[in-house]
Amino acid sequence: MLSERELERYKRQMMLFGDEGQEKLKKAHIFIAGAGGLGSPVSLYLAVAGVGTISIVDMDIVDQTNLNRQILHFDRDIGRKKTVSAKEKLEAINPDIIVNAFDVKIDGRNAADLVGEADGIVDAMDNYPTRYVLNDVAIAKRIPLFHGAIRGFDGQATTIIPGKTPCLKCIFPRAPPKEVFPVVGVTPGFIGILQANEVLKYLLGRGHLLTNRLFMWDGLQGHAEEICVERNPSCEACGGRQRQN
Amino acid sequence: MVAGKDKIDREEEDMTVKIRFFARFRELLGTEIITEVTAGTTFISLIAATAEKNSEGYQAIFDEKGAFRDFVILMKNGRRIDIADAAKTSVNDGDEIAVFPPVAGG
Repeated sequence: MLSERELERYKRQMMLFGDEGQEKLKKAHIFIAGAGGLGSPVSLYLAVAGVGTISIVDMDIVDQTNLNRQILHFDRDIGRKKTVSAKEKLEAINPDIIVNAFDVKIDGRNAADLVGEADGIVDAMDNYPTRYVLNDVAIAKRIPLFHGAIRGFDGQATTIIPGKTPCLKCIFPRAPPKEVFPVVGVTPGFIGILQANEVLKYLLGRGHLLTNRLFMWDGLQGHAEEICVERNPSCEACGGRQRQN
Repeated sequence: MVAGKDKIDREEEDMTVKIRFFARFRELLGTEIITEVTAGTTFISLIAATAEKNSEGYQAIFDEKGAFRDFVILMKNGRRIDIADAAKTSVNDGDEIAVFPPVAGG
């Protein structure tokens, strides 16, 4: 049941999806992998929308070089754990939600346990090896993976529904080399909000998800386009499993 | 290609294809390149010839042996082309080819 305060807080969005939609958000649990450039806008917007439980994971400490884009963290947080900073901000912006913060490196051994009973995984990572781990967990648990990635003024996003869409490894079978990537905060801001929008649509059962299409954003041109993406029947991550369905 | 041209004309004429780069490749090589090619031009030779105009762009896409780097994504008219097939796949008149890397940051 929504409290009086929640009914007031969410009044303007309940004009869109009613108390029934708001209850769906309140009951939902979303796992956000990363409290950095993408994780900041994703978690803030899901928190203010009233997603009832947010689990957020990060292993890093806030560094001055993060502050041009990681808007969950303030100058005063330099040297603090990102998880501590994230939990503090998310609980402050919406005290009616539950925030779990895990200060750990996501790997193949712990990922399934960390995700637990979450209804979906938001990919707010900065590397493909960890993304592939999240992809495996999403496939195994049959929950969506909301992919986003950025570099410079460029970004991409897609929503992966195991069994229905290509998985991340169907689309990107090989990881690009690691680099210290250039980035300006507006790019993860834009892509992160797109991911949060996907999460809300999925939880509410509204609109058309970014499924089977890769959204590609060119911030310098102010231009977005989509590329159709398809399953790879011999995908090492999902091929066999999907053929069984 | 103008509709209605007969087959002989078609064989004699250069074909026009469009190459579209995305993300980092776009920064180095431009957004959209429309180029004329002769019949039988393969995917890899077309992209190599286009990318050679910028050495950093070429090196971003190809390794020192001239093969596509393994993470590069190639699409022809919206359908994925395996990079292993790019050397034996010919381009056709009117093809639209997309070349892009996975964007990785977060």
